[in-house]
Amino acid sequence: MVSFELLFPVSVLAGFIGAMGGMGGGIILIPALTFFGIDIKHAIAISILSVIATSSGSASAYVRDHITNLKVGMFLEMFTIVGAMVGARITLASSPRPLYIIFGLVLLGSWVVLLMDKYLSLGQVAEQDAFTRWLELEGSYPDLATGKTVAYKARRAYLGAPLMFGAGIVAGLLGIGAGALKVLIHDLVMGLPAKVSTTTSNLIIGVTALAGTSVYLAAGYINPGLAVPIILGVVAGAFLGTRVLVRLTNQSVRIFFLVILLVLAVEMIARGLRGI
Amino acid sequence: MSQSVSAAKTEPAGRAGQFDMDVLVGTILQDGVLLSLALILAGLCWRYVRTGGLALDYQIAGMNLFQFVVDEIRLALHGSVRPRLLINLGIAVLMLTPFIRVAASVGYFLGVLKNWKYTVFTAVVLSVLTYSLFLR
Repeated sequence: MVSFELLFPVSVLAGFIGAMGGMGGGIILIPALTFFGIDIKHAIAISILSVIATSSGSASAYVRDHITNLKVGMFLEMFTIVGAMVGARITLASSPRPLYIIFGLVLLGSWVVLLMDKYLSLGQVAEQDAFTRWLELEGSYPDLATGKTVAYKARRAYLGAPLMFGAGIVAGLLGIGAGALKVLIHDLVMGLPAKVSTTTSNLIIGVTALAGTSVYLAAGYINPGLAVPIILGVVAGAFLGTRVLVRLTNQSVRIFFLVILLVLAVEMIARGLRGI
Repeated sequence: MSQSVSAAKTEPAGRAGQFDMDVLVGTILQDGVLLSLALILAGLCWRYVRTGGLALDYQIAGMNLFQFVVDEIRLALHGSVRPRLLINLGIAVLMLTPFIRVAASVGYFLGVLKNWKYTVFTAVVLSVLTYSLFLR
């Protein structure tokens, strides 16, 4: 049994680095926990429980600032929660080695996305389609920098919905928020403004994590002895991370985060291939 | 499709209502997380006072959220109040936070915004989550 005195600081650090990179704690937490000898399925289960706390905590502020689009969130949630339950079931049935490899590949994918950031595009469509209009997926948000209200219309919900089901599978499977993937779908497929897409993805992550957590709890994978120091640690770390550091605007922070992601990705894939 | 007619009709009330809904949802999320963290911290302090250590080592053999809380409350009623009660409650409150947020949204779309489409969508989310919480 790993001690409280070790788990807590490790989780603070994971939450801190995750928040610094604009991601959740899970992506750092799970590799760290498995490094200290915790079984990967238990690490995944606890991580997804802690994701409820970090995402709900940050979502609350954005929702009240009227930046989050509740309709977009609630429509897409229908797909992510089912995906999360399917993903969690796959993890429970799987052996550990493929989980390490998939985790590593998803880390590698996030790394590529982060690196390519500005160059990605998927041919924006100008007109809102009938289905998305029927779903009332539009809105406006106050831009604090300019003091103006920015209006927008979402697009291609028929494509966003099945893709979000996929994002839900990844979240449930690996015990992470999969926020980067959700933001990508919101941005590139549905054409939401950057601010709206990150904050709405935060809202969706909370319920998605709950659906996954329920499956792990029912299977006996939530150990409160592990959960308590980890939840407290990740929340404290994420709180500090978002407050103390400006996100990826600072070039050295960005490079530091990219290096960590790459090291963890390679590490996880290697452990999966070696047989841990 | 007749979406434009109904949208135009509910627009003014809809916008003001949407605004209040943001506040409601945001408040539920914030208070839920804070309450859960407070319960867990209180349980931890209590445990430290009683045992002088922070280590918690108990596993929960596969059970759903309700059994998880009810078992502990039943023990408390029989006079054996343990720090674990607060910790389990804290974890339960954390898990129920997004759940209550969705339940409140169903009520708001149904009662205040009278938006049937989104009442159905949120009700679907609520049903799936309820099902997941009762998994065994």
